Amino acid sequence: MKSWQRYAGLFFLVVAAVVIQQSVWVLRLFDHGQPGSGFMPFGLGVIMAILALCLIASQRGPEEKRVPFWESKAWFHPLLAVIITCVYIIVFDDIGAITSVTVLVTGWLLFVEHKRVAVAAGTGLLTGLVVYLVFDRLLQTPFPRGILF
Amino acid sequence: MFDVLGLWQGFQIAFSPVNLLWCFIGSVLGTAVGVLPGLGPAATIALLLPISMKMGSPVTAIILMSGIFYGAMYGGSTTSILLNIPGEAASVVTCIDGYQMAKKGRAGPALGVAAIGSFVAGTVGVIGLTAMAPPLAEAALKFGPPEYFSLTVLGLLLATYLAGESPLKGLMMAIFGLILGSVGLDPLSGAVRFAFGIPDLMSNVDFVTIAMGLFGVGEILISLESSEAASILTTKIKNVFPTIADLARSGWAMVRGSLIGFAVGILPGGGAVLSSLISYAVEKKVSKHPEEFGKGAIEGVAGPEAANNSAASSSFIPLLTLGIPGNASTAMIFAALLIQGVTPGPFLLKEHADVFWGVVASMYIGNVILVVLNLPLVGMWAQLLRVPYAFMAPLIMVLTLVGVYSVNNSVFDIWVMLIMGIFGYLARKLKFDLGPLLLAFVLGPIMERSLRQALLMSHGSFGIFFTRPISGALMATAILFVLYNLLTAWRKKQQGQAMAA
Repeated sequence: MKSWQRYAGLFFLVVAAVVIQQSVWVLRLFDHGQPGSGFMPFGLGVIMAILALCLIASQRGPEEKRVPFWESKAWFHPLLAVIITCVYIIVFDDIGAITSVTVLVTGWLLFVEHKRVAVAAGTGLLTGLVVYLVFDRLLQTPFPRGILF
Repeated sequence: MFDVLGLWQGFQIAFSPVNLLWCFIGSVLGTAVGVLPGLGPAATIALLLPISMKMGSPVTAIILMSGIFYGAMYGGSTTSILLNIPGEAASVVTCIDGYQMAKKGRAGPALGVAAIGSFVAGTVGVIGLTAMAPPLAEAALKFGPPEYFSLTVLGLLLATYLAGESPLKGLMMAIFGLILGSVGLDPLSGAVRFAFGIPDLMSNVDFVTIAMGLFGVGEILISLESSEAASILTTKIKNVFPTIADLARSGWAMVRGSLIGFAVGILPGGGAVLSSLISYAVEKKVSKHPEEFGKGAIEGVAGPEAANNSAASSSFIPLLTLGIPGNASTAMIFAALLIQGVTPGPFLLKEHADVFWGVVASMYIGNVILVVLNLPLVGMWAQLLRVPYAFMAPLIMVLTLVGVYSVNNSVFDIWVMLIMGIFGYLARKLKFDLGPLLLAFVLGPIMERSLRQALLMSHGSFGIFFTRPISGALMATAILFVLYNLLTAWRKKQQGQAMAA
């Protein structure tokens, strides 16, 4: 866990470095003697860098004994869910909102929750229908039509 | 002290059929959200933000969201008592004695006392809000940019230190939130910041996107890790009305919890969780039978439940009068008000008195609705726990995806939401608290605008934050607070090293 905390510290250190660089080189720290658009981000970047270094320093010492990352399966379902959601977003404009919602729910129930095909497909279709009625018809959200219309 | 005319006006607004309906819907949704573990009031309010935009009336939108917020405090106790799993964070303390009472066949009185305590506390909280908010709003009119900057600094510090386990990580999330809030157009100079050539980032990152990502998607991803199904205590829930003896033992606990919750709830970051923890500690201290705590002491249910409800009401005070939200849920309500074109703060009472009093009056009504919903219908709420989360997770995900698209009709927003969801998931895995991030995101623009305006006023001198009395007092409090916490941490470290040696 300590190594992951150090990685987190490193991430925030990189964020701080980018913010400081942008504030100094791209934005202006001062504008006609007054604080410019880079003034507060610069300050935030400096504080973030200090805090990130403190975090990294506080995680020194031996790593606790833990199960190797690849052996712990806890991350697998969240990763699957993210992949299915990415597929949804990629096909969203092409196949339409309602169809992609149906695909998302069906895929989720099949691969993440391991439901039977009939249950997954039925729930997916029902969800697509509800989304169409509530968001498309009632709330008039201008969804991309895609292949259905 | 009491603006009776304003309150009367508020009741007239709140009793309109539309507002009454949405108050009821909010209370029902809030109770359901409180009952169901994994979905908190902040996430639910985030999910409903796109729908609230289409409501037309800011009063109605805020009545709905407020109902969800304090309704969740009622519902959270059900899961805590029956499942030993907190329905939402503020009910974690209720698990300790509530579940023990249920195991002894006293689930009914536990649930009953929780509901009655919540009602008493909610009433105390709303009365306090009615009494304190107008004079506080009047005092806040004296605030200028230096005072607002100092207040936001103090608010963020308090929220960071009080809300999470690690102040260091909390501060980092707050700074990250401030940085995120600066992406896009600089409101003062019009310069584009941190867009990196991406056109969608040139307008500021939408609050709804961030909130739904962190609290909606992130919550779902965390819940997918666990495949264990919680088994509901199958004890029959009978006699939800506590006995005279139960009420005699828990009555003063309710009163103390209400007052503790009210005081703590006003503080940014204080909120429902901290107030319930403090209440439990106080009840154990003052009890004639402290050995019963942890084994089913009814005071251990009554006090914390009263505290978290009272805190929920009082957390509206800084939101409505100063325009400073104190926790993630009120930050969502703050954003919803802005979306509706209403700016919370000292001018809210003057310019939108209908919104202010309408919301306050609806809280009185909502409190009554909730005790009616939660006392006799608690068995029905318990059945909600049997709904498989396997089906709820994809449905909630659909709601977030469709909801965020409906705000700006932008696929880019969906990507940002997903990225924030992954960030929120990883942050929680590494024990980083998300509340400070969201608070900072909301307060960041106020903070920066106040800072730059104050420095304009003082011709660049930072002394203005210390020479003006109110700002000076706020800054001194912030500095003392940080020093006190650093000293406490250093002393703990010294003691730890001494014990190890």
